[in-house]
Amino acid sequence: MQTPIRWIVRIVEALTAAALFALFTTFLIQIFSRYVLGGAVGWTIELNLTLWIWIVFIGAAFIVRDRDHVTFDILYLAVPDGPRKVFALISAAAIAGGLLYSLLPTWDYIDFLKIKRSATLGVPLRTIFSCYAIFLVVVSLRYIWVFVSTLRHGASKEAHEIHVGED
Amino acid sequence: MSIELTACLLTIFLLAAIGTPIAYSVILGALAYLAVAGQDIALAGEQILQGLYDSFILLAVPLFIVAANIMNAGTISERLLNFCVAAVGRFRGGLGHVNIVASLIFSGMSGSAVADAAGIGKIIIQMMTKDGRYSPGYAAAITAASATIGPIIPPSIPMVLYALISNSSIGYLFMGGILPGLFMGLVLIVMNAWLSSRRGFALEEPVPLRELPKTAINAVPALLMPAILLYGIYGGVTTPTEAAAVAAFYALVLAGVFYRALSFRGLYDIFVESARSSAAVGLVIGGALILNYIVASENIPSIMAEKLVGIDVSPLMFLLAVNVIVLLLGCVLDATTIILVIIPLFIPTCRELGIDLVHFGVVIVVNTMIGLITPPYGVLLFVINAVTGIPLGSIIREIWAFLFVLVVALLAMILFPGIVLFLPRLLGYEG
Repeated sequence: MQTPIRWIVRIVEALTAAALFALFTTFLIQIFSRYVLGGAVGWTIELNLTLWIWIVFIGAAFIVRDRDHVTFDILYLAVPDGPRKVFALISAAAIAGGLLYSLLPTWDYIDFLKIKRSATLGVPLRTIFSCYAIFLVVVSLRYIWVFVSTLRHGASKEAHEIHVGED
Repeated sequence: MSIELTACLLTIFLLAAIGTPIAYSVILGALAYLAVAGQDIALAGEQILQGLYDSFILLAVPLFIVAANIMNAGTISERLLNFCVAAVGRFRGGLGHVNIVASLIFSGMSGSAVADAAGIGKIIIQMMTKDGRYSPGYAAAITAASATIGPIIPPSIPMVLYALISNSSIGYLFMGGILPGLFMGLVLIVMNAWLSSRRGFALEEPVPLRELPKTAINAVPALLMPAILLYGIYGGVTTPTEAAAVAAFYALVLAGVFYRALSFRGLYDIFVESARSSAAVGLVIGGALILNYIVASENIPSIMAEKLVGIDVSPLMFLLAVNVIVLLLGCVLDATTIILVIIPLFIPTCRELGIDLVHFGVVIVVNTMIGLITPPYGVLLFVINAVTGIPLGSIIREIWAFLFVLVVALLAMILFPGIVLFLPRLLGYEG
C-alpha cells in the first residue's frame, strides 16, 4: 500500500511542478506576443487560470503534506498527549465528514457545468472544475486514514512547516 | 448576528484553535453556515472555484513564490551581501547595518519576509556570530526585524492578497509601500546604531573603498530587479501579475545563466517546493473567498454602518482600534490568516468611515509583518530558529527593542497618511 502511494505522490509532484512551469512560461509568451508579435493572444489568460486552480486543488490533495498547511498549532502542541489525540481525531473527522457531506451536491453543480464552455478555448467548465471533486474525494480519504492511524498510534507532534508565501 | 453566522464563526474558531489547518476550518465553517441557513451546500465549492478562476491578480502569488525560491537557491543573496559589507560595514554596529540594508534591497526583489529571513538572513547571521562579535540572539533578532520589510517594499505577496479582498489597486498599494519600507529600515538602523555604541560592539575591518566598484558591479544585476519590476508596472509595460512572471524569469536568468549557480535538479526541486507552497496558500485564499461571500450575504456592511451612526466613532479612533486588535492577533496568528480571514470584516466599515483603502492596506500589511516577530507565535522567529538553530528564547530576549521602534513607525504611518500616500498621489492616485 505504501509504495504505490509514494509513486503516485512522486508523479503528481512532477505534474504540478510542470504545471507551475507552464504557468510561468505562458506568461512570458503572453508578454512576448503582445510586444513582439503585436497582438495579445486570448488563450494565455484562460490557460493560466485553469493551471492555477489545478495546481491548488490537485496540489492540496496529493502533495501538500499535513505539516505544510497554514495552521495555528500553539495549543495543539502545548497540550498533553491525551487531549492532543482528541484534537487530532476531531480535526480529521470534521474534515473527512464535512468534505464528504458536500461531495454530492458539489458534484451536481460541477456536472451541471458540462453545458457551459470556457470563453476562448471552448473546454467544458465541468472538465476544468473537476479538480475540485478530485480534491474533495482524495482529501476525505486522506483524513479517514489520518483518523485511523491517530486512533492506533496517537497524534503527530510535528509543528507545521513554514513556507514562502505564508507571510 | 444570525444563527447561521454564529455557527460559521464557531466552527472556524473552534476547529482552528485545536490545530485543524486554517483552510479546512474556514471551508467547514462555510459548510456549517450553508447547512444551518438551509442553502445549497454546493455554494461553498462554487464560490471557491469561481473566485479562484476569476481572479487574475492571484496568479502573481505562485510566481512571486517561484521568484523568491530561485533567488535563495542561486548565489544572488551572497553577492548582495558582499556589496553591502563593502558599503556600510565600516560603521559601528556595521554588520547590523549591513543586515538592514541588505534586507531593504532584497525586499525590492522578493515579496516574502520568510524568503528574506531564510535566505540572506541565514548567511548574515553566520557572518555576525563568527568570532563571537555579536551574540546569536542579537544577530537573529535584527535579522527577523529587518525581514519584516520584505513585503512592504514591492513586490509583495501580502499586498496581492489584500488587493484581492479589498478590491483596491495593486499598483498603488505597491507604490504606497515604498516610503514606509524605507522608514522602517531607517528606524531599525537608528536602533542598531544606538545599541551598538551603548554595548560597544566591535568595529569591522573596513573593506578598502577601491574594492567597492568591483563588489558593486558584481551585485548590479541583482540590484536592477526592483527597477525592472517598478518600471514594468508603472511604465505600463506589464500588468502587476506579468511583472511577477518577469521577476521569476529575471531571477532564473541571473541564477542560471549569469551566476551559473543553478542545476537542473535544483530547478526541479524549486518548482516542486513552490507548487506545494502555492497550493497550501491557494487553499487559504479559497477559504477567504467563501468568507467574503458570507460577509456580503449577511449584509455586514449595512449593519456596521447602522451601529456606527449610533456611537459616532472617528476614523482615526477606528484605525487605531483595528491596529491594536491586529497587533494582538499577530501574536498568535500568521499574516496570511489575518489578511484573508479577519481583515475582510473591517473593510466595509473603512468604506463607511471614508478611510482610504490604500492607506489602510499598507498600514495593515506593516502591522501583520510586525506580527511575524511578536512572541509567542512569530513566523520569522520560527524560521530563523529552524535555519540557524539559535534558541527561540535568546532571539525573543533581543527582539523587544526592534519591535518597539517598528511599532513607533507603524503609529507614525497611521497618524500621518502622507507617509503611505505621498508616492501613490504623485502617480495620480486620487485618495
